[in-house]
Formats: sequence, C-alpha cells, structure tokens
Amino acid sequence: MKTKRFWLTLLMCAGLWTTVTSCFNSAPDYISTNKTRNIHMIVKMNRGDYWNTVKLGAEAAAQEFNVKLTFKAPDSESDIDEQIGMVQASIKQKADVIILAASSYMGLAQVVDQAAYYKIPVISVDAEVGSARVRTYVGSNGYEAGQKSAERLIELLNGYGEIGIINFTNSSLNEQPESTSTVDYGARDADERERGFLNYAARYPNVHVVEISYTSSNITNAEDLTQLMLLKHPKLRGIATLNETASQGAAMVIKNLGKDNIKMVAFDSSPSMMELLQEGTVQATVIQNPFSNGYLAVKYAVEVIEGMDVPERVDTGTKLIDLDNMLWPENQKLLFPFVR
Amino acid sequence: MPKEKAFFFPLRPQRRKGNKIRISSKLRSIQLIITFTFTTVTVLVAVIVSIMLYNKFAKTAEANANLNMQQIIEQVNYNLELYVNGMRNIFETAEGQVTNSSSVDSALLSERIGMLMGSREDIVSVAVFTPQGGYVIGTPGQNMRLNTQLDTQSWFTSAKKTSEVAFSAPHIQNLFKGRYTWVVSVSKLIQYRENGELKTGILLIDFNFRTIDELSKQVKLGKRGYAYILDSLGNIVYHPQQQLIYAGLKYENVEPVLEYAYRSYLDESTGEKRFITVRTLAQTGWKIVGVAYYDEIVTTKRDLNQFLAWFLSAVILGVIIVSILLSALIASPIRRLERTVKLVGEGDLYTPINVRGAYEVEQLSKRFNLMLQRIRQLMDQIIYEQETKRKGELEVLQSQINPHFLYNTLNSVIRLAERGKTEEVVTMIQSLSRFFRISLSKGKNIITLQEELDHIRHYLVIQNIRFKNKFRYKITAQEEVLQLQTIKLILQPIVENAIYHGIEMMPDEGFISISAELRDELVVIVISDNGLGMSQETMKLILTGGNKSGSGSGVGVRNVNERIGLYYGREYGLTFESEIEEGTTVTIIFPALKTQENLDKPKEKEDETSA
Repeated sequence: MKTKRFWLTLLMCAGLWTTVTSCFNSAPDYISTNKTRNIHMIVKMNRGDYWNTVKLGAEAAAQEFNVKLTFKAPDSESDIDEQIGMVQASIKQKADVIILAASSYMGLAQVVDQAAYYKIPVISVDAEVGSARVRTYVGSNGYEAGQKSAERLIELLNGYGEIGIINFTNSSLNEQPESTSTVDYGARDADERERGFLNYAARYPNVHVVEISYTSSNITNAEDLTQLMLLKHPKLRGIATLNETASQGAAMVIKNLGKDNIKMVAFDSSPSMMELLQEGTVQATVIQNPFSNGYLAVKYAVEVIEGMDVPERVDTGTKLIDLDNMLWPENQKLLFPFVR
Repeated sequence: MPKEKAFFFPLRPQRRKGNKIRISSKLRSIQLIITFTFTTVTVLVAVIVSIMLYNKFAKTAEANANLNMQQIIEQVNYNLELYVNGMRNIFETAEGQVTNSSSVDSALLSERIGMLMGSREDIVSVAVFTPQGGYVIGTPGQNMRLNTQLDTQSWFTSAKKTSEVAFSAPHIQNLFKGRYTWVVSVSKLIQYRENGELKTGILLIDFNFRTIDELSKQVKLGKRGYAYILDSLGNIVYHPQQQLIYAGLKYENVEPVLEYAYRSYLDESTGEKRFITVRTLAQTGWKIVGVAYYDEIVTTKRDLNQFLAWFLSAVILGVIIVSILLSALIASPIRRLERTVKLVGEGDLYTPINVRGAYEVEQLSKRFNLMLQRIRQLMDQIIYEQETKRKGELEVLQSQINPHFLYNTLNSVIRLAERGKTEEVVTMIQSLSRFFRISLSKGKNIITLQEELDHIRHYLVIQNIRFKNKFRYKITAQEEVLQLQTIKLILQPIVENAIYHGIEMMPDEGFISISAELRDELVVIVISDNGLGMSQETMKLILTGGNKSGSGSGVGVRNVNERIGLYYGREYGLTFESEIEEGTTVTIIFPALKTQENLDKPKEKEDETSA
C-alpha cells in the first residue's frame, strides 16, 4: 500500500510537471541552428559559373542552417573515378549527409549504395544517380529542358534545316574506350536533355539532327568539336548546346567566325553567355536554377538529418531566355545572382 | 477465542465484500482528501498568481521589445535617409557639373566625372543620355553594349515623365561592358550644352548596394531578426536574403506592409509570431521593414517562462510533500486508533490505547481508554454476579436438604415419641414432610408466595414444637398476593435468624409476625419479631457481609438479599429495622409478578449461556 501510494504521488507529480512545462515551453518549429551539421557536397566539376552558383546557393543555406559545408568536385565532368573516390572519402569522414551531382548515372550507383549502407543519406542534385537509396533529387527536368531548347531552335530555323548538338559526358550510345563494362556511364541530365531534344525534333521531318558531339567539359575541346562540326556539315543551320561549357565553346566559335546565319540555343546562364545573348551571337538559352538547386539540396539535407519528411523529387524548373525577356525583372533575378 | 468473540459481540458487523466499495472508501480517507484539497487549492492559487504575473511582465516585456525595435528601425531609417540625401547631393553635384560645363565633351567634365566616381565606392556608373536613348557622355573608359533596351528601363522612362530626381528599383545594369551588377539608378532630366547648343538629356547615376548592405547589416533584431527595404511599389530594394527571394525560395509578405507608412504590428501569417515595424523614407518612398521574431526578441518573456515553470513546479512539489506530511500527521493517529479499536473489536479488551498525535485524537484515545476500562469493569461485574448467583443457588440447593435442621427436628420427634406425644409427632413429621416438599419443589427456583408462606409456616410449626412453644407466630397475607411469584426460600433464613438470634435467648415469650401484601405493584413481606434486636453495626454487617451468619444452619440473610437483587434488580431486596431489646423488623420488597410458566424461561436460558 505504501509503495502504491508513493507511485501514485510520483505519477501525480509527473502529470503536473508535464502540464506546467507544456504550457511554457513549446518546441520551436523552425530548424534548430544550435548544432553544426557536416554536409558534404560533391558536384561534377570545380570550374564553371554554373557550379559556382550551385555552390553559392549551398553556402547560403549552409549559413542559414549552421552547416559545415565541404564542397568537392573533380577537375573534369568526365572524371567519374575521382568522383567515386570523393564519395568514398566522404563516407570515411562520416559526413552527416552527402549531396551528389553524379557525373555518371550508373557509375556512382554502387558508391551511393555503399553510403546508404553506412547510414549516410544521399541527396541527388542536378543529375540523378541509379540508386534507389537516394533520399531526394533536387534539380531540373532535363527532358523538358531539351524539349524547350529544340522548340526554340526549330522555331528560329523556321522548321527546316540541319542541326548539330553538342552535349557533354558520354552516354552509353557512344562507347567509351576506357570503360570495360557495358553499363550506362553517361550523366543522367545529359541523357535526358538529349532525349528531350531529339524527341521534339523528330516531329519535324525537315529538321535533321546531323551530329551529336560530346565534349569532355572544357571550352577548348568544345570549340574544336564545333569547328569540326561546322567543317563536316557546311549546311548546318542550327546548333544546340546542352551544357555551359559546350555553349561557351560553340558560341565563341560562331562569334569568332562571324557565322551570323547559324542560330544557336545555348544552355545555362553564365555572365559571358548573357553578354553573348545581348550581343546577338546566341539567340536563346535554357536556364536552370543552380542557386535554388544548391540551396534546396542543403536545406533538404538538413531536414533529412532532422528526420523530417522530404519530397522524393524537387523540380526547380527551367526557363528559356532570349534577348526580349532577359531584362524582365523576374528573369533578371534568375539570371544574375545578387552578389554584394 | 473465536467463541468468546462471538459471545461478546454477536452483532459485530461483518467485513464488507467487493473491491469497489473498498477502493472508493479508501479514496474518502482523510489523508487523501486533505492532500488533494490542499494541493489543488495551493496549486490553483500558484497558477493563477503565476499567470497574472506572467501576463503583467510579458506585456511590459513585449512593449519594451517593441519599443526597442522601433528605435532600432528608426535609427536605420535615419541613417538611410542620410544616405539617400548623400545620393541626391552627389547627383546634384554631377548635375551641376554637367549643366555648367560649356560642352559635354570637354576633357574637364570627363575628368570631374572620373573624380566623382573615384571618390565613392558605391557609384557604378555615371552617364548622360539623349531623350531618344543615345549615349552622350559617361564615365571614361566605359563601352556601351549592344541591345541595351534602355528606353524601356524604368529609370529612363520615369526621368522622362517627371522633372524630379527618380530612384529606380534594383535592376541589372546592362549598359556597359564588364560585369552585370545589381544597381539602384538615380536619374533626372537635365540640361547640357553640346557644341554651344543647350540640349535636354537624362543624367543617370547607378549606385550599388554596398552602403545599403552595411547599413542594414547593423540591424540586430535578435538572432534571426532582420530588416529589409521595399520601394514604393513593393519591389524589394534590399533584403539580407535577396537572392533567396529572387530565386523564389523565400517569400516576404509585403502586402500588409505596403498599406502603411508608419506601423508596428504583430504578424502571425507565417505561423510564427513576428514583430513587424515599418518606417518610410520621405524622399524615395522606400519602406524600411524590421522583422523580429517574437520569441527571440521577447527574451524576458522566455526567461520569465522558465522561471515560472521552475517556480511553479517547485511550489507544487513542495505543496504535495507538505500536504502529504500534514495529512499523514493528522490521519496516521486516527488510523492507529482505528487499528487498536479494531483489535478491541476482535475481542482483546486488554489492548492499551495510547495513541499520540493531535489533541483531539489524544482526547479520543483517552476517552476510549476510559470506556474500555468501564467495559472491563462491567465485564468483571457480570462475571462476579454470575458466579455469586451460581453460588447462591448452590447454597439454596444445599439448604433444601439441611442435614443439621433435619437432624435437630428428628431428634425432637424422637423425644416427643418417647414421651408419647403422638399428636405432636404427627404434626411435626407432617410439617417436615411438607417443608421439604416445598424446599425441593421439583427443582424450581420460582414458586408462588402461597407455597413460600406454607413453607415458612411448616418451618415455624417445627421450630415451635422444638422450642417448646417459646414463641408465637402469626402469618397474614392478602388474598391477591398469594398467587404471585417469588424466589423460593427467602423467608426461612430470616425467620431462622429471628428465632436463633432474637428469640432463643429471650426470657419472655417471643412473637414472630409475617405479613405479605401488595403495595403499588410491589410485594411487601414484613417479618417482625420482638426479640433481642441488634445494634446498628450488626445490621450494617448483615448486608455487607462482614459477619457470616455463622451458626450455619440456614441460608444466609445476605444470600437472600443478593438473590433478590440479582433476580429482580438491585433496587429490590431487604431492609432492616431494629431496636435493641425491642425487636427486629425485616421488610422484603420485590416486584409483583404473576406466576407463569414462561417466566422461568429467560432464567433458564441465562443459565445455559453462563454454563
């Protein structure tokens, strides 16, 4: 009886305590910033305005949510092995979350599974990776972007003519010499954009995609490929480039050669591309939201750590920018990062 | 023991069955009631006081925080106003220089503009355009881009519309080669000379966000609070997270802000309580909006929260402990008392009750103890009486066949027979026989008064013959008395006493009178003699029992008194009146009861139970 009463009293006290404390201390509903989180972000390449803007966005989020952001990227977009090594290093360093922009859809699948095995959540940004263990994908819809590019280019060409595409990172369509396996080693976003472009172009019988070149993500290489393409196809009327370096290389060639008759739809919104757009070398560009990609990736990474539910897929959207709409206030905001 | 228990308390309530009733009665215990009431009341009071205090303090804290924030924003507003004035001054200086210059393409003007730009880090570009959008003059070394679309830009259109200085919303400066920068443009329609000709043009000066950023960074509104600037149309001029807002990742609810020029309010649209303070710059129409998170800025309130939470829990804990102790202090003696009384109830009358505690409980315990003592006394008395009764009855039984009397009587009979007094012998034997018959009377204790009087008559007959007519006697009785009942053998001891102690030693003839009558529903039997009488002391001793009516031939007078007292009640019995040399009168009084068979029954039952 004594013990029973004791427990009863204790229960009463506990009950009162919870009632009282619950009245006063309500849990904060914003993400706590008291604890430093260790997030590793591994992107495709350490150069280029695009990746810089992604980094900018990531850093903005890192600052907001008190994240220690480790930003890593290989020198080249095609250096899959180095990227795999970086993911492995992050696993060893026990990152809280790994944010990955995979250079290869299948090439990084295994290492992502490995990370998941070590209970490190992986978030895909920009380019997806072939693993079911990825928590969320933050990026644009590549297929849609490709279609937008094709739509505008065909419009510019009045619906007929030869088109050349300059894409990046080899897909399985193009056998990679050093690759010994038969898996899909292309980057997912590159594949999607190309597929979107080709599917759209296929509706126009008079439009012929005569060549698809793959650049290894440096401007000189892209320039060479463009020149080669122009030589091979003198009747070429339009060029579509599917990433930033390819766009810059191709635009430089067109500008330098003064080939005003060749229409070009570029990709991404580096300041130099804007300048080319304003000067009329490039007629349009498909832009993504690199800042949002970086920011949201880190934000969702924090939410994953906090155990919140994150959406499976976040589409940050694409937009077609040309000379007419580039100065619209809302496009200004997207095109030019607000840097102080 | 169990048998005894049943005997003492045959009607003791049985323990109730069923758990429910027991629990609910436990809930009604003093300790629980006191604990509960005390705790509830105190906690209620503490909570109410806390809430009142909290509200009072919280209100003050809130007002203070609000005021503090307003002051901060006011300060920023002031600084920004200074800055905007500075911009305006620079613009006016530039305007003066351009207007007063004899020719816009003079080297002096271009040098001055260069100096102006060099003096300030926040000037991005200075340029003059024709109203048609043609480039006139600008910062040295700047090259215009193609496709600037400047005639559609707001700074150009608004300058053309009014002659006032116009401040634009933030936009990208795309006029000149180099970096694309976010700027605020100040523009105005001005006059300038070119080749001696007075022309109208638009002067443009672009400012970057360096200074505004610095000014706004000084705003400290808690950890997460911030300030942002809107232009009069609701475009965000400056925001600490401008890029996030531009990218559509953050959203600032500017609509309620735009409606007021000067306002402070609490906003809950985001789900979090936020203080919003709005101030407006007079010249540009820009609004400075301070946003502070309520729970951050009102830290006093949070501290108060914590303090009150601790205070309240401490009070509640204390109250619970105190009330438990207090109620235990009150309830435990009562519980102990209850336990002891329970022991008593179970039959242990010798349980000492010494419960210490509150005054009332001690008193109760004391009284209970006294009561118990009394019960013990009564119990003892009952036992004693029962024993006495048994003893008396045994003595009656013995006296029924008194050998001494029989022997004496038979001796007398022999003597009479020897002397040939046949008649007297017959009388004596007859009386003796009847005497014994009534004495025994089938073992009954209760007989009629008639029988009792017969019994004493026979006794007197025998004794009279034995004492050779030493005394006379007279027995009178009312008719209605005769059939009333009496305990048997109550007269014989008294008469025996009268004969042996009163008359035997007397020289004269003795006289014994026995009368029985009904008086107020009482049977009164008076036995008087004219014998020696006795002293007051002897008289007292007779009933208190110092003197055992020693001659031993009869049942003691005291025994008679005792039996009447036990049977009818203590108020009945014998009374003595005696005068030395005058005689003694004994009065027996007991209630008049009709002879009935069933009147014996309770007695028999009592006999049974006492056995």
